[in-house]
Amino acid sequence: MTLAAARPPLTRSPYTVSRMSLRSAMAHRNLLYLLSLKELRTRYKKSIFGWAWSLFNPISQMLIFTVIFIYVFKAQAPVGDPSGVRNFPMYFLSGSLPFNFFSITIGVSIGAVQGGAGLIKKVQFPHEHLVFSVVVAQFVTLMIEMALLTVGLMALGNNVLPWLVPLFVVLGLLAFFTSGVALALAAANVFYHDVNYLWGILSQILFYATPVIYDPRTLDFTPIKVLAQYGPTGSFITAIHNIVYDLRLPSPLRLGELVALSVGTFAIGLWVYNRLSPKFAEEM
Amino acid sequence: MSQSVALTVDHLTKTFKLHHEKTNSLKQLIANRGRSRYDEFTALDDVTFDVREGEVFGVIGHNGSGKSTLLKCMAGILQPNAGSVSVAKRMSALLELGAGFHPELSGRENVFLNAAILGMSRRDIARRFDEIVEFSGLEAFIDTPVKTYSTGMYVRLAFAVAINVDPQLLIIDEILAVGDVTFQQKCMEKFVDFRNEGRTIILVTHALGSVKDMCDRAVWLTHGKITGEGDPGELVDAYTETMLGSRDRADDGSLRRGSGEIQITNVELFASEEGRPVKRFRTGENIRVRLHYAAEKAVPKPVFGFEIEHLGSATVTAPCTRDVGLLPDRIDGRGHIDITMENVSLLAGTYDLHTSITDFNRQHEYDRLHVALRFDVMTGRPYETGGVVSLRPSWTIN
Repeated sequence: MTLAAARPPLTRSPYTVSRMSLRSAMAHRNLLYLLSLKELRTRYKKSIFGWAWSLFNPISQMLIFTVIFIYVFKAQAPVGDPSGVRNFPMYFLSGSLPFNFFSITIGVSIGAVQGGAGLIKKVQFPHEHLVFSVVVAQFVTLMIEMALLTVGLMALGNNVLPWLVPLFVVLGLLAFFTSGVALALAAANVFYHDVNYLWGILSQILFYATPVIYDPRTLDFTPIKVLAQYGPTGSFITAIHNIVYDLRLPSPLRLGELVALSVGTFAIGLWVYNRLSPKFAEEM
Repeated sequence: MSQSVALTVDHLTKTFKLHHEKTNSLKQLIANRGRSRYDEFTALDDVTFDVREGEVFGVIGHNGSGKSTLLKCMAGILQPNAGSVSVAKRMSALLELGAGFHPELSGRENVFLNAAILGMSRRDIARRFDEIVEFSGLEAFIDTPVKTYSTGMYVRLAFAVAINVDPQLLIIDEILAVGDVTFQQKCMEKFVDFRNEGRTIILVTHALGSVKDMCDRAVWLTHGKITGEGDPGELVDAYTETMLGSRDRADDGSLRRGSGEIQITNVELFASEEGRPVKRFRTGENIRVRLHYAAEKAVPKPVFGFEIEHLGSATVTAPCTRDVGLLPDRIDGRGHIDITMENVSLLAGTYDLHTSITDFNRQHEYDRLHVALRFDVMTGRPYETGGVVSLRPSWTIN
């Protein structure tokens, strides 16, 4: 070819199959915003109660566990130290809301990349936002739920207001941690749909290995006790209990663990996603 | 015209693994000890070409020649095994219209979402929103959910978004024929604008006519390799010739269906004074088509018909015996039907002749022979450069 010799240097297009980076993700934040909005707007379409469902679920869950633990098993709610509050529903909600955020976000986003197959096969676009938009939409829901929880705690005399900043920091770290897991699993699910079913089982196990319905200090069974206090989800929920129920800062060690956990998991999630994503269009 | 390069495809190779049984579960994966058995299929084999800035570039090839794979590699959807694609300018690939439209969202919301997926910034979308809506002609419906749209409306909105992404390099895959005639006209105008503004267009298509008309250069792919590159007219001619050649080799290329009580056994074409059947004639000649039939048993009131179709575009004519009131009570045994046509208006090109025999209501098909005969019309009198038939116009300039 004679043309080849005269060819001017070309810049690499941002549109060739590209790796995801935080910079490219930020450059397309408009897409993230619109996808999150779509996620929120279409979630409760065709239902009579609409958004109220996002409150019915945690409340009904709280009622069920309260009846079972307080009235059936005659269990005692843990006492907040130093807040002195003793209320099982509030203890339950302050743990279950963040845990459900984690578990629902991952459950939904596992199918998000596969669900975008029609798009991924036809358009080159930053498809990682299919996952991030689920995280953002669920995080918005979590914020609303936590705001209502704050009102509830205030009514019981637990003044959470001074603790909202550390709470927000921990929830932010939780969102990063969740994103990392979600990215890896959503990418893996394109290749093996078993991931989806495995998550169904794993999230159940994690629920009971996380101090949502019990106080880990009262446990005798060591494996669960260790997992509940120092496992990934256990650490997050313990820290949140510290902040909103006990009204004290988590230990520096705990905070360090959370930072390491979220940064590490997010990095691993990105790496896995980038390893697998060039083959998405072919696998779908 | 600038000679700088808009897109370079450099030694591009893409292979696919054809799994004998697709392993989508861990159980199968473990059973196969982590390996699944597969064959490799080479969809693109060391393809290299440049697309220059400001030109309309065509990609032609038969089904399975690797056109779509090439397109997806150029669009950055598929990752090539070797080689690379380099793009100098903002590119947009229109492979499917309305990908990502959500039925529950309104037209407005979908415009914003779809444009963002296609890579537009929020400011660009806001600036072009009115233009998009105006182009689609859906001002009155823009705030209703798209699930209430008709297919035509849906496609129009999707196309309006896609065309307003404002790329410097546009890759189009067979989507020119959308919407009604008025909308198609608008689309063609938009493409002409694009071209006149010096933007680069890559057209991947079966419509050979549009390649000939619109493209400055083209490549021809066969089984993942470039067979030819250069002038689209010559390339399309060579391609058509090869396709016709392969048809001759394949028995006769026809397809038959129908209940079969009576069948067309042979179709012959005679032109002017020639005594033996031909496969080509010139515009303006007198021709005779002879349909030979054979009936197993007596068939009441059959209707014979034929269609002449211009290769790759439209049906030119489709008359039948019922149209002229030629209705024999019954047909039995063997025989033939002659159709004479004088001073034939078909212009130069390749045509297919399909035949059919139906019952009186044209509901039940006794026999339908698709591509019973393929023939070529060569340039004659009248002579016209465009179109399929001549209406023998007479011109006066006042």
